[in-house]
Amino acid sequence: MERLTPRVRVVWLLLALVRAAIFGGAIVGAAFGLTRTAVWESAPDVLVPAAVALAVALALLRILVAWRRYGVWRFELRDDDLYIERGVFTRVKTVVPYVRVQHVDSRRSPLERTTGLATVVVYTAGSRSSDVAIPGLTPTRAEDLQESLRQLAIETAGEDAV
Amino acid sequence: MTTLHPASVAVRSLSRSLNTGFLFFVVGIVASPGGNGTNLLSVVGLVAIGIVLGIVYEFAYYRRFRYELTDDTFDVTSGVLARRDRELPLGRVQNVDIRQNVLVRVLGIAAVHIETAGGGQTEVSLQYVDEDEARRLRRQLRDGVSTDASDTDETGTAVRDTDAASAGDETVLFEIRPHELAILSVFTIDPGASLLGGIALSFASGFDPVALVPANRLGGLPGPETGLIAIAWGLLLFVLAAWLISAALTFTRYYGFRLTRVGDELYYERGLLQRYSGTIPLEKIQTLTITESIPFRWFGYAALSVETAGYAPGQSDSRGSESAIPLADADRVAELARAIEPFGPIDLESPPRRARERYAVRYLLVVAAVVGVAFLLARYTGFIRQWYVLAALAVLVPIAAHLKWRNRGVRLDDRYVLARTGFWRRTTKVVPYYRVQAVLHQATIFQRRRRLASVTADTASSASLLGRAATAHDVDTDRGLEMQAAIEDRLQERLRARQHQRTGRRWFRDGIDPTDEESATESDGEE
Repeated sequence: MERLTPRVRVVWLLLALVRAAIFGGAIVGAAFGLTRTAVWESAPDVLVPAAVALAVALALLRILVAWRRYGVWRFELRDDDLYIERGVFTRVKTVVPYVRVQHVDSRRSPLERTTGLATVVVYTAGSRSSDVAIPGLTPTRAEDLQESLRQLAIETAGEDAV
Repeated sequence: MTTLHPASVAVRSLSRSLNTGFLFFVVGIVASPGGNGTNLLSVVGLVAIGIVLGIVYEFAYYRRFRYELTDDTFDVTSGVLARRDRELPLGRVQNVDIRQNVLVRVLGIAAVHIETAGGGQTEVSLQYVDEDEARRLRRQLRDGVSTDASDTDETGTAVRDTDAASAGDETVLFEIRPHELAILSVFTIDPGASLLGGIALSFASGFDPVALVPANRLGGLPGPETGLIAIAWGLLLFVLAAWLISAALTFTRYYGFRLTRVGDELYYERGLLQRYSGTIPLEKIQTLTITESIPFRWFGYAALSVETAGYAPGQSDSRGSESAIPLADADRVAELARAIEPFGPIDLESPPRRARERYAVRYLLVVAAVVGVAFLLARYTGFIRQWYVLAALAVLVPIAAHLKWRNRGVRLDDRYVLARTGFWRRTTKVVPYYRVQAVLHQATIFQRRRRLASVTADTASSASLLGRAATAHDVDTDRGLEMQAAIEDRLQERLRARQHQRTGRRWFRDGIDPTDEESATESDGEE
């Protein structure tokens, strides 16, 4: 079983922080607006501290999940299929037979480029979110993976993939 | 290259000018010269311009539109401003549908829609061609598909006219009977109908809801407040209107439903006013779904739908067109389903008993939430007084949990995965192993507490977007892993078997005189 590059935690943590900041800013701002303006006359005093506490708690949870996600993520190129294990709350184990691979993408977001990482996305004709993305790969490993997946998909290519 | 039917200019112009005419009407109202008032003359003028533009456009569309059926592709050249040449390999055609509304039926023309697996919408729409031409196209596309699917290498076979041959081997699989149509119409709830019902009611009341409530008579009745009865009365009227419209819609939609099998294709036709017909190649079927909804299940009825990869998820109008049997005797449905995919007995393995506990806990939480909301309402508004009465709902919890548990199950057949779920709308999915695209083993945090997991066999079918993929809910974790491995193994095995079969058939065809029925008709047609 192959693990992701540990550096992927940086990407996930940064994303978690940005999302937590946006969400926290929204609820704290709303609470602040409610107490300062005349919208809600008898707003309790604890509203703003409660909003801040909620925002901090959610941020902590997000960070924890982002950290834990790395521990859970695993993938493996098996004989006939690609096997992936992921998910902190909902643990998902996906099996994608090579026969079913339609095409393979490798992509790098700006955040991934700054941290020197890449993501490989495997597409199938399936309709239920089975397009699988493997994040946190070094660019060379991503290239290798893409190439070997392509080879395996061609080797096993059967009839009409639908 | 063939053009569309000339009458299509008139029909298309009509619908087009309704659109553009309305658009220019709005533009005219908004940008009417003279400030405050709307200048009637300029509005009418703009509408006229809109209509004329629409007609000119449609005429140009008709002039530009050309299609041709070649040996292995269907070519379409179209477009007025942006031009497009499209080639559709016949082997990739999933469905061919013919649609006719009332106006078009009077003129003897029809719209032909051709679906392939890719893309977000219908790949080719011919609006409109002659009725006979539509039928001819469907037949020839089918022939092209069937030869192409069974033998991709063979070339040079001219387009054949197998009119007589196909008429001969047509077998009727299903014809809706009057009482089935009646039951279907009465009990089907059409989501669109409730909206229509609301609109109809507001028109009937002259946009004044009070008009329909006989307030003077309610006053004399004993009981709590008249306000509640008025609301109940309004709701009753609304439900009644929605129900009537829904029944009428369902009746016209499935009137004269007929399913036949021609060679290796299913062919359906239905509809009273709007006439729909289409083909479903057996070769392209992804999933069979047997649906037994609650009122129908009590009467011993079931429905069967067939999913192909042709219709894009969320595509409007695709609903119903994949329905193979809207309603029939449950035994008959099972028999027909087996005629399409010969799966074994539906002898399902139930989820472990601890799954039932899980459902009970879940429903208990729902009841607790309801009671909590009622308590808050009672505390702060006084709208409800005896909030604790709602706790009696807890009696239903074990029953509901048991029913949910009992209606779930899975079976790994030799060649098919069977998965059933749902109490109100019980669906049994039949997925051939060789159609499986990926296998997912999912366990939420609550499922992991009880060592449970859900296994999903994902296919390329279009109807599984709304959580309707074949899923074995709440099986034991280890059993789930076993299932995942087994499905994958059998997928590989079935694929190898099919590959073998295909190469064998090709060798057989090339080497020896064609003796099977399909080839015989081909050589007849080529004379």
